[in-house]
Order: sequence, then C-alpha cells, then structure tokens
Amino acid sequence: MAGRRLAVRLAGLGLAVAVVALLPRLISEYRAFQLTYVGIYFIAILGLNILTGYSGQISLGHGAFMALGAYTTAVLTFHAGWRDLWTIPVAGLVAGAAGFLFGFPALRFSGVYLALATFAVAVATPSVLKRFPGLTGGSGGLVLDLPVAPFGLPLSPSDWLYYLTWAIALVLLTAAWLLLRGRVGRAFRAIRSSEVAAVSSGVNLAAYKTFAFGVSAAYAGVAGSLLAIAIAFVNPDTFPVSLSILILTGAVVGGLGALVGVAIGALFIEFLPIYAADVSNQAPAVIYGVVLIAVMFLLPTGAAGLLRRLLFPVTRRL
Amino acid sequence: MADFLQQVVSGLATGSIYASLALALVLIHRSTQVINFAQGEMATFTTYIAWTLVDRGASYWLAFALTLVAAFVGGVALERVIIRPVERASILTIVMVTIGLLVALNGAMGWIWSPELKSFPSPFPNRGVDVGGVTISLQDVGVLGVTVVVVALLYVFFRYTKLGLAMRAAAVAPDASRLAGVRVSWMLALGWGLAAVLGAVSGMMVAPSVFLEPNMMQVVVIYAFAAAVLGGINSPVGAIVGGLAIGVTINLIGTYADFLGPELNLPVALLILLAVLLVRPSGLFDRVVVQRV
Amino acid sequence: MSKKLLLAAVVALTSLTVALPGAFGKTAAGTTTAADPGLTARTITLGGTFPLSGPVSRYAPIAFGMKAYFSYINARRGNDGKRGVYGRQIIWKFVDDQYNPAQTVQLTRQLVEQDRVFATVGALGTEHQQAVQSYLNQRKVPQLLVSTGAATWGRDYQKNPYSVGWQPDYISEGRLYGQHIVQTKPDAKIGILFQNDDYGRDYIEGLEAGLGARRSQIIERQGVESTSTDVRAQLARLRASGADTFAIFVTPTLAIGALVVADALNWRPQIYLNSVSATDSFIGVATARGGNDATDGVISATYLKDPANPKWANDAGMKQFKRLQAKYYPQGNPNDQLILYGMAKAQTTVQILLLAGKNPTRASVLRAAQRLNFVNPFLLPGVRVKTSATDRFLISQQTLLRHQNGTWNEFGNLIEGRPGGR
Repeated sequence: MAGRRLAVRLAGLGLAVAVVALLPRLISEYRAFQLTYVGIYFIAILGLNILTGYSGQISLGHGAFMALGAYTTAVLTFHAGWRDLWTIPVAGLVAGAAGFLFGFPALRFSGVYLALATFAVAVATPSVLKRFPGLTGGSGGLVLDLPVAPFGLPLSPSDWLYYLTWAIALVLLTAAWLLLRGRVGRAFRAIRSSEVAAVSSGVNLAAYKTFAFGVSAAYAGVAGSLLAIAIAFVNPDTFPVSLSILILTGAVVGGLGALVGVAIGALFIEFLPIYAADVSNQAPAVIYGVVLIAVMFLLPTGAAGLLRRLLFPVTRRL
Repeated sequence: MADFLQQVVSGLATGSIYASLALALVLIHRSTQVINFAQGEMATFTTYIAWTLVDRGASYWLAFALTLVAAFVGGVALERVIIRPVERASILTIVMVTIGLLVALNGAMGWIWSPELKSFPSPFPNRGVDVGGVTISLQDVGVLGVTVVVVALLYVFFRYTKLGLAMRAAAVAPDASRLAGVRVSWMLALGWGLAAVLGAVSGMMVAPSVFLEPNMMQVVVIYAFAAAVLGGINSPVGAIVGGLAIGVTINLIGTYADFLGPELNLPVALLILLAVLLVRPSGLFDRVVVQRV
Repeated sequence: MSKKLLLAAVVALTSLTVALPGAFGKTAAGTTTAADPGLTARTITLGGTFPLSGPVSRYAPIAFGMKAYFSYINARRGNDGKRGVYGRQIIWKFVDDQYNPAQTVQLTRQLVEQDRVFATVGALGTEHQQAVQSYLNQRKVPQLLVSTGAATWGRDYQKNPYSVGWQPDYISEGRLYGQHIVQTKPDAKIGILFQNDDYGRDYIEGLEAGLGARRSQIIERQGVESTSTDVRAQLARLRASGADTFAIFVTPTLAIGALVVADALNWRPQIYLNSVSATDSFIGVATARGGNDATDGVISATYLKDPANPKWANDAGMKQFKRLQAKYYPQGNPNDQLILYGMAKAQTTVQILLLAGKNPTRASVLRAAQRLNFVNPFLLPGVRVKTSATDRFLISQQTLLRHQNGTWNEFGNLIEGRPGGR
C-alpha cells in the first residue's frame, strides 16, 4: 500500500520535474520570469507549510524572513562584492537563525496570539529596514546588478533565474520531504494534533517548535534571496505586510500539511491577481478576495486535499 | 510639564480611536472566537458611507446616525453570509476568510469611490483651549467624548438589558444558553453588528485628521490589534485600557525618545507589546486559562 | 496500479497546463521585426506601471488623466487631418504595481516582452523606476517622463540615455524656498518637518542649497514616516525650538495635519509648503478645519494650473481640461490636480511623438526629447517645456504662490529652477 502511494508520488514528481525542465524551451522569456516568481513563492510556501501545516504554528510574518534573506543577499553583493550565488545559503542561514531565535518567545504564544505577534513583526519590518540607511539603503533601497548566468553558461538571464530557482526548489522540496517523513515529521504532526498528548508521549515541545520556526524561516530567507537576485533591487516597499498574507494564502490554497499542493498554491498567488486585473482594471482585489473566500468555503483543505480525494479515495485508505 | 500633559491628552484622544476599534475586535472574539482581520476595512467602508451621505447634503449628525445603523445591518449580514458557513472550521480557515474579506472590501472601496483622497468633516472645531498652560485641542476632547458616550451606552446595554445579558451568556456558555432559550447564533450575528458600529465610530473619528482613502485604517487597525492583545483578547476593559495606553505611549515615545528616529515608533510600540505578552501571555486583564490535563 | 499512475500523470499535467494559459505556443524571445516593437501602421502602444491600489493609490488619477488626453488625441483630427498621432491610434496600457517594486519589475517586463510597448511613459515611483532602469536601458526601451521629482532623472542621462524625467525636481523646488528666505528674511530661524525618505531629503538638499551660507540657521529637523498618521509630537518640538520659519516637506495627508496642528497650537511661523501638498483640494481641507488662520500666508511653488482655483475658469487650457475630464474620466474629481498633471504629461508625450516624425523609432523619439521647446496648455503661462542636449530637465520653471483667504495667488516672476540649465 505504502509502496503504491510512494510510486504514484514519485511518478507525479518525475513528470513535474520533466515539465519544469522543458518549459523554458516552449514559453516566452517573460513567462519564464513569471514562473521564476512562482518558484520563489513555492519555496516560501514550503517553509510556511512546515511551520503552520505541520507543526501547527500560525505565522503571518513570513514576509519579514523573506526580507531578511533578501537584504542579506543585497548587502553582501552591494557592500561586500560577493557573487550573488554564494549569498543564497548565507541568506538562508541568517533568516533561519532569526527564525530559530524568534521561536523561543513564540513558545509563549499560542494560536491567535502567535498570529498577531508574527503580524506585528511583518508590520514593523519595513520601518526597521528604513532605520539603518547606511546598511540597507533606507527607503531608497539598494540597486543590484542585473542577473547574468555565471561561469559563462550559455543561458539568457531569464532562463538562468528560472533554472536556478527551480533547482533550489527541488532540492528544498526533497529536503522537506525527507525531514517530514521521519521522526521530525511525526513529532510535528503529534504537536499539531495535540500539544498535551505530544508532551506526554515524550516529545520535546520546545525543541521541535523552535526548530520548525528555524527551518521555515530559512526557506523563506532563501526565497527572499532569490527574489532580490531576480529583481536586482531591494527596498522596504518590496516586503509589505501583504506579502506575508500572500504566502499564507498560497499555503492554505495549496493545502496545509501536505507537500503535493504547494506548486498549485504558488501558481494561484502568482497568476490569479494577473487574471483578475485582466478582467477588470479597477477591481482585481475584489475578485481576488471573493475567490479566496470561495476557496475557503468549498475547498478548505486546499488543492492537496482535492488531489488526495481524487487519487486516494477513502475506501482505499483502509 | 505642560508639554507632557499636552502629549498625554492628545495621546488619549488617538488612544480612544484605537480603543473603540480594539473593543470591536474583542467583541467579535469573545462571541465567535474569530479574529476579524477585516475590522479596519469594515470601519473604513462605513466611513465612506457617511461621506456619501454628507456629500449628498445630510447634516453631520444625521449622517453619523444613519451610518451607525448601516454598519449594524452590514455587520450582521456579514456574519450570516460569510462567517456562519465556516463557523466550525479551523482557526486558519476562518482567518483566511476574514483576510479575503479584507482584500475584497479594500478593492471594493477603491472601485466604488476611487482611491483619491477625500476630506471628511468633523463636528468639532479645530481650536485649542488653554487649560492651565496646556493647549488642549477641542477636536481631541470631542473624539474622547464621543468614544466615552458610545462605550458607556454599550456598557449599559450589556449590563442592564435582557438582550445584552443574552449576548453575554451566548458568548460565555453557548450550550447552556441554548437550553435557556437563547438563540445563540443570532447573538453572534448581533455581536458582529455591534462591532461594526464601534468600527464606524472609530473610522468617523479618525477620518477628519487623516483624509478618507481605502487604506485609511490600516495603521490604526494594527494599533487596535496591539491594544486588544495587550488588554486581553477577551476583555473589553482591557481593550479600552490597552488602546488608551498605546495612544499615550506612542506620543510619549515620539516626543521624548526621538533619538530612535521616526521609523521606530511603530516597531517599539509593538516590541513593548511583545514584551508584555511574554510576561502575561493572555494580556493584562484577561483571565489566564489553565488547562488541566 | 497503472490506472492510478495514468490518473496521477494526467492530473499533474492538467493542473500545470490549466494554470499557464497562453504559455504554450509562444516562441521564445519574440520575433524580430524591422520596425521597433509597439508600432504598427495604425497604432502605437505605450505603457506604464502605476499604484492603482495599495499604499499610495491616491496617485492613481494620474494614469486616468493620461488616458483621458490620449483618448482625446485618438478622437480628434490633428493638423494633418488624421486622428491620433500621424494616423496612429495610441494604445495606452497602464497596469497596477501596487507600489511594490517586485511587481513593478514583473509588470514592466510584461509590458516590454508581452505587450511589446514602444515606450513606457509616466510610470510612477522613484525607487520603482530605478529598479527597472537598467533593464529598460539595456533593452533600449525609452523610459519616458517618469512620475517622480528625483533629480537623477534629468541629471544622469549619460549613464541612462533611455530615461527621461519631466517635472521640476524636488531639489530645485527646495532651492526656490531657500532663496526666498534669504531675500525676505535673512535672519530666519528655520524648522523642517520632512518625510523620512529621498523625497523629503531631496527637498532639504535644495533648501540648504538655496540658503547657501545661511543653512546653519536650520535649527530643528523633525522626520516622520510616510506611513505615519500623526505629527503632533514633531510639531510640538518644532514649536518649542523657537523657529519662526517652518518648511513642510511631506505628503499631503501629513502636510494638512501639520498645518492644522500648528494652528491648534497657536504657532504662526512663515510656512513653506511643498508643491505636491499645496493643491487646493488638499490645503482647502486645512482651511476648512482651521479657518484662514491655519493657511493664510503659506508659500508654495507650482508649475501647473490648479483646477480648483476659479481664476482659471475662462482659460482655454483649463476649459479643455474640464471638458476632457468630464468626457473621458467622469468618475474623477474635477478639482483634482493629479488628473491635470496626467493630462499635461500626456500632452508632452504627444508633442514628443509628433516631433519624432511620421515613422518614429525609439531612437528618434529620444532625440526628439532633446529638442523640445513648446508651451503646454495645462502649465502656467510662460512655462516652456524645453530641453537641449545638455539640459534634460523638461520643465524647470516654477513660480512662488502665497495662500490668502482660501486661494492661491502667484507672486513674483517665473523662476528658473536650474540656473545655467544644469
């Protein structure tokens, strides 16, 4: 049984990887650029899913961790002349450390309070970024060099960004999958269903919860770093509160607690506003909001829930 | 000293705006366990309604009253249509629904009324009165006054009327209330209606100073969240105290700690909030719920 | 087992293709044509990113003002008897970037690579346009008439030859105020309320330049965040500093707050108000709240006619503005100077296109932008839109105004904001 499910999943993944790899041959450069954004959202949503979907801690502040990663990259390339590629893991580490540290006080907050505390962090981030203009460029931000394929690879900048982002996405997806199917994943799931029961089963609540925050923030940091490289610019306006809400939307629409819907969530948050704007220049937000509410009404388990029901009907689960 | 008092007074006035919005949040959370992220947009929306009425020639207080009625009806309708279907769903689902409402309302306002800045009238003159060396703005006094009256009316309603009692019962002990004949789900809808009324008051009090536009309440709602959490998300008294405290604190920080720079007003306020929560996780006034295993 | 596999494959493939409509079938990098993109025999496509929603959506009317004027041009017959520009209809594609540079970058690429605009015009946001500046210059897409007053757009043309500004920059406006203070009140003690970003800082730089040696007379500076809503603390400190001259360099909401609070505190310095915040629709609110006391004597600068000022009622340019606004953007506010700003910008665009000739190219448009010398019906009488190979500031003349009894009155002559043309 488990082997069958695994086979289906691997087949699906293999197919998806093939499609992603071949796509740039078939689509325009600018579509590839949009799909790079999808990849960036994919990584951020993956991280948020680990935190909220698997360990049950709501975060409305992931935009802040993305900002941290983005600015790490920006500062290193702008002030210290690093090659942009090498800044990506550093950005992940910096954001991860921050997330881990934030995880400690976060232990004291539960549910709604944690949501509000992370919301507060997201709100405060642009202001804090402006406070240190020497480092961050203040409200004007930092202009970086346009991305160029390194080592003389014969790729256009858009294609380079696309492959870089999706390659990292694949690596991080695999890492997340391995993490979540092992002991860590089981501990997370235990914590999510009942903290009290988890503790009495010997799960070290504090360790796992802060770890979840750290990993989740690291993913967001990598996503932010890629965003900074892609747009070759950072400033506080690039990370408003609405970004945190956008990532959470992507995670929920994709389906929390499942990895299979993350890509759908990322596609949703990238393309729905664009198509809503096509429908009406003046009211894309209304359409977006209404669709979001409708999705919550009809598909609260998100795309992953839908896929599960299609592929693994209940009768089979027994 | 006069300077200090002046900052305190104007801090209380802005604080009262945060307090009424925070009270709205608490009201909704107490009855439906929902954090209504769309509270600010609802408040702005009702303020736009008031603006339209005044624009069409209504006098200020008539528009004020009609807007409160419209807010009440709107709040009840929203609860019935949008929240009721997901009442029993997970916290996250409900959070996302209110966020969807936030986005939709914000877009709707820009669409219906256009995003350009509009001026909103105030019934209070913009004069300062000299009271013992301190210049107190009549606008500030007026705002405080209106908030006090509205809160007092609500207090009387909840404490001394049958309906108020029913609402309180429905929030605290829904099953027992049902047995006593209270129509619990309508009480929840009423809670939303009253919260919308509070939001409308908050919006109409802040609009004269900041210009009416779709994003008007976005900063206010953040402070209102902070106030509600600071006071205890289920405590009305806490919301009021929290709102006033935050209003005064922000003013004082701006005046006496300007080495921090203007950027850090908001983050410092939020930091203080987080610090308080670390010590008292349920807020200042809320009863700590101890879970026995 | 194989059926499940097939189903999984189908679902994965379908979900990906459904979410990428229009993606398949497009060839990469576009087709090469002899003429520049965005140009056909019948049409010319222009685009721009604007904050139609989000934190500064109040500037959205600019894009609609531009649309109104372009619609007029498309409908009327020009001097050559043809509609549009030499018979080409202007397709105006403006999109919402929500004032977020990440969106600006994405949407600008969309405009250039998918919508294939001939040029971007009037796009808004200093940092946002800086974010796409390298990309547009690299692709040789003209970045015309950006809606920002940062001086870099006129100053740095050698580095970015495809980027062209339009309005008088904030530095030169600040300089006007500094010079006026030196002329009228040389011993002034000056306090400044400034927005804590490049906008505010550019104004201060100009003010200091205009004050020259007297810049040390700036005795108090109070910064405020653009997202802030309350300036009471800053005003209290400014008043306490003993300043008798007060410069307000913030966005309209905060500026009106500053005027109203100053009045409530009974503080009456000589006030200099930056032009963006000075239009009648904004300062009128301060007058309504505080009476004439709050706004009499305030000095500002401008280069545009103000639709809310009745003295332009019979002016041909203003009449055209009101006509076009009523016809093509009736949901807008007829007193909103932002709409007029948009129309003035669109008029400039059309003039540049006309000058670029019947078969324009991107290069010829840029050359035309260096040879401008014309009058714009929406700008103050006497202001000329003028450029040369070394002077890339299209509009640099302004006049000072004084507010009295609810109206603005220009005084003095038109002042050249960039003496020496630099």
